[in-house]
Amino acid sequence: MNTYKKLIAATALAVLAGGMTMGAASAKTFVYCSEASPEGFDPGLYTGGNTFDASAHTVYNRLLEFKPGTTEPIPGLAESWEISDDGLQYTFKLRKGVKFQTTDFFTPTRDLNADDVIFSYERQWKADHPWNKYVTGTSWEYFAGMGLPELLQSIEKVDDMTVKFTLKRREAPFLANVAMPFASIMSKEYADKLQADGAMNQLNQKPLGTGPFAFVGYQQDAVIRYKANPDYWGGKQKIDDLVFAITTDASVRYQKLKAGECHLMPYPNPSDVASMKADPNLKVAEQEGLNVAYFAYNTTQAPFDKVEVRKALNMAINKQAIVDGVFQGLATPAKNPIPPTMWSYDEATVDDKYDPEAAKKMLEEAGVKDLTLKVWAMPVARPYMVNARRAAELIQSDFQKVGVKVEIVSYEWAEYLDKSKDKNRDGAVILGWTGDNGDPDNFLDTLLGCDAVGGNNRAQWCNKEFDELVTKAKETTDVAERTALYKQAQAVFKKEAPWATLDHSLSVVPMRKGVEGFHQSPLGDFAFDGVDIVE
Amino acid sequence: MSETTVHGGVSTDSSLRRRLAEFWYYFSENRGAVIGLVFFLLLVLVAILAPWIAPHGPADQYRDAVLLPPVWQERGNASYLLGTDAVGRDILSRLIYGARYSLFIGVIVTSIALVGGIVIGVVAGYFRGWVDTLIMRLMDIILAFPSLLLALVLVAVLGPGLINAMIAIALVFQPHFVRLTRAAVMSEKTRDYVIASKVAGASHLRLMFKTILPNCTAPLIVQATLSFSNAILDAAALGFLGYGAQPPTPEWGTMLADAREFISSGQWWVVTLPGVAILVTVLAINLVGDGLRDALDPKLKRS
Repeated sequence: MNTYKKLIAATALAVLAGGMTMGAASAKTFVYCSEASPEGFDPGLYTGGNTFDASAHTVYNRLLEFKPGTTEPIPGLAESWEISDDGLQYTFKLRKGVKFQTTDFFTPTRDLNADDVIFSYERQWKADHPWNKYVTGTSWEYFAGMGLPELLQSIEKVDDMTVKFTLKRREAPFLANVAMPFASIMSKEYADKLQADGAMNQLNQKPLGTGPFAFVGYQQDAVIRYKANPDYWGGKQKIDDLVFAITTDASVRYQKLKAGECHLMPYPNPSDVASMKADPNLKVAEQEGLNVAYFAYNTTQAPFDKVEVRKALNMAINKQAIVDGVFQGLATPAKNPIPPTMWSYDEATVDDKYDPEAAKKMLEEAGVKDLTLKVWAMPVARPYMVNARRAAELIQSDFQKVGVKVEIVSYEWAEYLDKSKDKNRDGAVILGWTGDNGDPDNFLDTLLGCDAVGGNNRAQWCNKEFDELVTKAKETTDVAERTALYKQAQAVFKKEAPWATLDHSLSVVPMRKGVEGFHQSPLGDFAFDGVDIVE
Repeated sequence: MSETTVHGGVSTDSSLRRRLAEFWYYFSENRGAVIGLVFFLLLVLVAILAPWIAPHGPADQYRDAVLLPPVWQERGNASYLLGTDAVGRDILSRLIYGARYSLFIGVIVTSIALVGGIVIGVVAGYFRGWVDTLIMRLMDIILAFPSLLLALVLVAVLGPGLINAMIAIALVFQPHFVRLTRAAVMSEKTRDYVIASKVAGASHLRLMFKTILPNCTAPLIVQATLSFSNAILDAAALGFLGYGAQPPTPEWGTMLADAREFISSGQWWVVTLPGVAILVTVLAINLVGDGLRDALDPKLKRS
């Protein structure tokens, strides 16, 4: 019942917003049916993609931005940058005349300068910074997750428009890190004012930055409103108002899109995509997502500590059936742990052939009999795996053919993530990963490195050879050299088979016919700068 | 108009046969109840004969026949009469095997709730005093929770699974039986035949279960029928929420949950058929329950 009320409220607001602007000559309102409420509006504090869409990609900018539709870092608030020869010092030259947004809750008196950059980083870095713990019960998860607290030596203001970052060691992915949502640049002037007013948590509720859209208001679980920032350094947007109508159910989102209540929606049901494509009022953008779904054995648990057993089980899984049955074909079977759109992807890898007969023989040769395996199925839909239970059922039936009994287990999502990290976990877990910054390190080291055992390394797999290759690649800046190292690492991965790689899903974005200029992000972001509606 | 037949037909029969005939007379007057009973008996038959009449195994996946529509639609295939689901399992076979689970759930849940409820209820109603107060307050507490929510909490504690779901639902249903039994026992306890039996030296146990209980059965039978259908519904709901039967068990609620994504796409049969199965079964049992009440409740007898 409640959901319907919210829907009605959201719709009413959207209509109202549209109606009010009708008066002005050609005011355009763009409505995005987002999939969930933002956790807050400070992108440093959270990890949810929908939170970044609502803050980092609308209100804020970063020193570097990802070029729309790619994972290539391009100048953002930093006009140019220099890297010292030892690879430890990064000097960013800031863009001149970048104005912060003027809203009804704050009027800036100065342009962007080095203080804002230092403030944005230090608040996440230094435990004694007054803004370090301004929202209780949260932490700077991404900042810590990317290893920045250990990596950063210092951040200095060279002059008003120049900032110098000094690192403790060489780190090739650093430039990509700087372009990630958590590194959004805030206004120190605004923060100072909030601090003086004793209203620090407003920073997480009323965001203010340099981005293309200025925050207008948020109605909990219903609607977020923005207006185009007239002072945006990249020029004013073609649309005048941006509305996020929060609609958690994929079927309801589709209905609203069909009715023209919103212009664009994320994450459709795979089974709806065919009818979306057939609808003359809609168009569907497709792109290979920067993700992978995997089936991670616990490589410390007998008999899955044996390579032959893991290989044999990999050969027993019919990946095409998962692609067809779970994604209705909107995915590709995976052979490498990184997606094909990522640089250094090894085309030459030969995938384990689906061959239950051979798999059965291999298991017999390895002396495995009457094997029972627990398979963990995620309780939620993620872009890389929209229905893990069904995938688990398919694997269950596949394994039955080679004489392995499967028991499917599932837990509540937070518990699932937590429990599956356990080194003594019983069984194999279905999970996946969507890239954060387009660097292979973000997959190979984050998910399979020795440091990640007991954490993101759900296979609990620590292989010396692999780890050395990945660590060396991280400390190398030359891309060709890194590519070679990552290709070797993928070969080691394939030989050792700590996972069965399941699929890379297509990311599908349905929108109204009249929407133009939307760039599908390989990182799964929904950013609306440059979007226009042509009716 | 039919009174003459009754009196003419039953008066010469022995007591049990007469009572049965009388029961059937009132029951069969309710046409819905008879239809419900016929359907229910058919379902029992289908459930028992499942391995022989189901065309395929309930967990067999036919990878080349994914999401086939029922046979009467275009693309339909005669070997999958009601179509197949997203992983190529025959829906008809799954529904047939699912009938086993639903009936099994109904029988077990009702039996546990009924037996437990009767024992506790008779004790409370017979002894009264602090025993009664203690038991009834406990039952009030259980009744104060929305039943599905309490079942959800119990399953969350016990762990998901069909058996745990059944235990949870039985516990939630128990208080209804306790209350009914207690009320009936209290009204019977002061009757002359009970006192006579007591004076003759009958033990407490004999008084409770041999003398009083047989006279309280009518409302219990009606309540048991209604619980039977409620149990099927609640188990389906738990299955739908992912707390009941686990895959690949062909339980109807679980099948429904698995088909959720097809609600607004073209594959209506994956969602609709398990839903229809639940609906029709529950309706049939409720109709039978209605008929039973008509036949057993003296206040409703029109004679």
